[in-house]
Amino acid sequence: MVGSFIFVPILLLMIVNVLSFSHKSKLHNILFGFGLLTALAQIALVLWPNKNFWQLTANYQFNVIKFNLAADNLTLVMLLAIGLVGLIALIVARGLINDVDQEYNFTNLWFIALTGMNGLVLATDIFSLYVFIEITAVASFILIALTKERDALEGAFKYVIFSSFATVLMLAAIALLVFFAGDTSFAAIANAIKANPGNSLILMGLILYLLSVFIKSGLIPFHGWLPDAYSAAPAITSIFIAGIVTKVVGIYPLIRFVQLTGTLADPLRNILLLVGGTSIVIAALSALGQTNFKRLLAYSSISQMGYIVLGLAAGSALGLAGAILHIFNHAVFKSLLFINAAAVEKQTGTLDIDKMGGLAEKMPYTGATSAIASLSTAGIPPLSGFWSKLLIIIALWNAQLYFYATVAVLASLLTLGYMLTLQRKVFFGQLENAFYETKEAGWQLVLPSLLLAGIILGLGLGFPWLINTWLIPIGKIL
Amino acid sequence: MTPPIMTMLVIALPIFASLLILLTPKRWPASQPTILMAATIASLFLSFSLFGKESMVSFPWLGGGLDFSFRLYQFSAFIVAAVAAFSFLIALYTLSFFRADNQSKLFAFYLLLSQGLAAGAVLANNLVVMLFFWEALLLTLFGFILLGGQYSFKTAIKAFTINGITDLCMMLGIVLTIFLAGTATMTKINLPLDTLGATAFIFLMIGAIAKAGSMPFHTWIPDAALDAPLPFMAFLPAALEKLLGIYLLTRISFDLFQLKPESWVSSLLMIVGAATLILAVLMALIQKNYKKLLSYHAISQVGYMILGLGTAVPAGMVGGLFHMINHAMYKSCLFLTGGSVEKQAGTTDLEKLGGLGWKMPVTFGCFLIAAASISGVPPFNGFFSKELVYDGALERGTIFYVIALLGSFFTAASFLKLGHAAYFGQAATQTRETKEAAWPMLLPMIIIAALCLLFGLWNALPLNNLIQPVFGQQLAGHNYAGLPHNLFLIVMTVIVIGLALLNHWFGVKRYGSGLKAADHIHYAPGLKQAYNLAEKKFFDPYELGLKAIRLFAIIAWGLDRLIDWLYSGLATSAARLLSLVIRKSHSGNYATYLWWVIVSLAGSMLYIFMVK
Repeated sequence: MVGSFIFVPILLLMIVNVLSFSHKSKLHNILFGFGLLTALAQIALVLWPNKNFWQLTANYQFNVIKFNLAADNLTLVMLLAIGLVGLIALIVARGLINDVDQEYNFTNLWFIALTGMNGLVLATDIFSLYVFIEITAVASFILIALTKERDALEGAFKYVIFSSFATVLMLAAIALLVFFAGDTSFAAIANAIKANPGNSLILMGLILYLLSVFIKSGLIPFHGWLPDAYSAAPAITSIFIAGIVTKVVGIYPLIRFVQLTGTLADPLRNILLLVGGTSIVIAALSALGQTNFKRLLAYSSISQMGYIVLGLAAGSALGLAGAILHIFNHAVFKSLLFINAAAVEKQTGTLDIDKMGGLAEKMPYTGATSAIASLSTAGIPPLSGFWSKLLIIIALWNAQLYFYATVAVLASLLTLGYMLTLQRKVFFGQLENAFYETKEAGWQLVLPSLLLAGIILGLGLGFPWLINTWLIPIGKIL
Repeated sequence: MTPPIMTMLVIALPIFASLLILLTPKRWPASQPTILMAATIASLFLSFSLFGKESMVSFPWLGGGLDFSFRLYQFSAFIVAAVAAFSFLIALYTLSFFRADNQSKLFAFYLLLSQGLAAGAVLANNLVVMLFFWEALLLTLFGFILLGGQYSFKTAIKAFTINGITDLCMMLGIVLTIFLAGTATMTKINLPLDTLGATAFIFLMIGAIAKAGSMPFHTWIPDAALDAPLPFMAFLPAALEKLLGIYLLTRISFDLFQLKPESWVSSLLMIVGAATLILAVLMALIQKNYKKLLSYHAISQVGYMILGLGTAVPAGMVGGLFHMINHAMYKSCLFLTGGSVEKQAGTTDLEKLGGLGWKMPVTFGCFLIAAASISGVPPFNGFFSKELVYDGALERGTIFYVIALLGSFFTAASFLKLGHAAYFGQAATQTRETKEAAWPMLLPMIIIAALCLLFGLWNALPLNNLIQPVFGQQLAGHNYAGLPHNLFLIVMTVIVIGLALLNHWFGVKRYGSGLKAADHIHYAPGLKQAYNLAEKKFFDPYELGLKAIRLFAIIAWGLDRLIDWLYSGLATSAARLLSLVIRKSHSGNYATYLWWVIVSLAGSMLYIFMVK
């Protein structure tokens, strides 16, 4: 029953909160335990799938719309990424948040966001997709404002404004598309698009959907909210939101969009290419000049999203496979980098990279894992980031998009530039006197870091196995 | 023992012994000279007993016609025996020459290794096998020179570079020859000197004459004379390399290829020979150091050999080859006298030497014989071989004969100067207490000096047994043993020697010292400027090459800086500037950001519907 991915978290959340049978700290521990079990079960179900389980789809007939759930290979990868980053975030939260109330709130919101994301990737109709996007978005607004500090509230506010803008566009797009399809399911919409080639209103609907998704994923020039939201949010929220939430909310619908429209019409494809290429270059240049650890990572996120968009725009199975692998890789290395940033912030009290230096000596695990994550971001072989970028670049080249292929290759240099600047300023060089007494962060941060670094290495080294068993089948869904 | 086993042993024994020497422990100081002497004596007997035998040995090696094959016959047996003989004499000499244990140990190692490798190169019957041994000799050459002390590495690198480049030429020649002949087996190759054949021949020739030390590949030898240990000079540049180089030149000229007197290649060889002999002897004339003076003669005399072989007429060929063995003898003898003087007087600077004749009578005697030989004074061996070379040169062109004769004049003049400065005149204060050298150093000199006399007085012995059989049918029945047939040549030679004496007397009279006896030539108008340039190594291709490379390096460095600046200067500043502009545009005001969204939205819509 794939529906359990949605209903189990919600039920657990309700049981604990409604019954409210115990003192809050104890209650929190129970909720935390449930969270761990949910995330682990999700990972296990994806890694060792039971065929019967997956073949079932849930059909819930409502008045107006059908609520159908189904899982394909893409959904599997997304579920795995959600489970993994969710698990990591939950563990790291134990180490980062000291206030019980806050931690309890976080775990609650975590459950809601998990439900939203799971539903999002399982949805088979455009309206459910929209509903789950909103569920997830609402959870993330509050997550950003978790500490109720001024900056965090400001970041959350910006996100709300942009998000509502995107919502308006999305609803308009749905209205237009459903008008022609007569049904909200992806299949019906796809048929309608094929049946009415060159219809202006359908095209209008598609582009509204596209722009809405651009805003949600924070691609340039729709990115105004993202750096503030990422950097102003509390450390734990940054890890969760940047690692997985915005990717599921923004990029996943984009992938469904590409799948929906089949081969992209030229103008749409050009917009995708332009936005993707601009995002890569401008965000990378922007990251180069940042002095705030998390802000730098935020721009890096935008830049990496650009790669995914380019991969999708290539319009081939290879490009799609590259894009999906890059989402997963990005979830892994960007969560890891945000954990590193959180560890550094926790131990030194600052995020200003100009003030740091030589921390690798005092925080060896943080230093080593961040080096691995940085190199993976820059696409250095044999780390996993190299392979996904390679697939994307090859796909672009095969699609005769030589200019964008070149941009993608050259931008890797910029990526390497800002990532090495970060490493050099934070972890290498002379140890600042102020940090002489600095210690490694607790196990709650170190253990997840090591796990994620291990995944980066393992995926990179095990890629030849991975490409045949996982990635090429994913590509077939196009 | 059968000849094949002995053939292999003559290569393997010295190499094995050389490795054994490396293993001798410091606690047994006597073991190393014992092994050295035993190995050299054993291989001497071995190679002499191989004389007159013939055999072919072949082992499968690389496949494709590249077998590890060796051929023992009259010519290779002769060269191998000569190498073994010099190896033995030099080994004897080094017994009391070296002071430092480590130096003598390494010298013994290189000596035996060189001997084995040289035997391998000479006996090889496959061009690739020969190249294998030939190239390996580069290593011992490098090692030998390095023994000279802390400043010798520069010379070692120079020698290595020059020989490495010429060996590369030889490699090309070998490849081309194999391509032309379709086989690498030397006995099966006999090619005409057509265009491709001549190209292959010239590449091979460069390897051969560079090994022999001909111009313009000679420049490391005078440097090595000052930097490298002296027995090395007596062994490698004076004897072994001449034997190898001229052996190969003879093989390629008359065996692998068909060198004919009328061909342009023959003329080229003669020009190289003539230029080498006259230019090098002019440099020798002005030297003020015993060893350096000798080293220029080691170059100059190669000119006679190349000239003789290059004539491609019977007299010249026999003369060239005869001169090779003669030169190996008297030149090592001369270097050995230089070594005695260096060891006993502590210097080879001619300004500080003088009056040694009475203090070192045996050394002086050997010097006299060897110097007379090299100057071509009858009845020593050098006289007879030079007469034959003259004979051949005259047959091919008067100009070559005149140059060769002029070379003889300067040779005699420079040895008169050397002998006068070192053995006569006033002793300098530092060298007043000099005594005669120890017998292990004297014995080799005496043996060689005696052989010089023997090969002169009884020249039928080497000519009939060693030299003339090499050419066989090509001599067309000529026999050059005994007195020279051409009276005109003898008269001219005697006149030239007389003129050299007269010139020396004039110089001494004018400048009042033996050392300065050649100054009127040194400072003659025109020559003086040329000498100055030569002393500044202006004519040294290696130094010129170094200058060119330095220039190239500066240019490359500049280019590198430029490219580096483009990347690390221009590119990063551009990136930083862009980054700054982008950051400035992020004001933090969400209204601005929303405007971006709206404008992009409108732009996208517009684009879509315009395209449509």
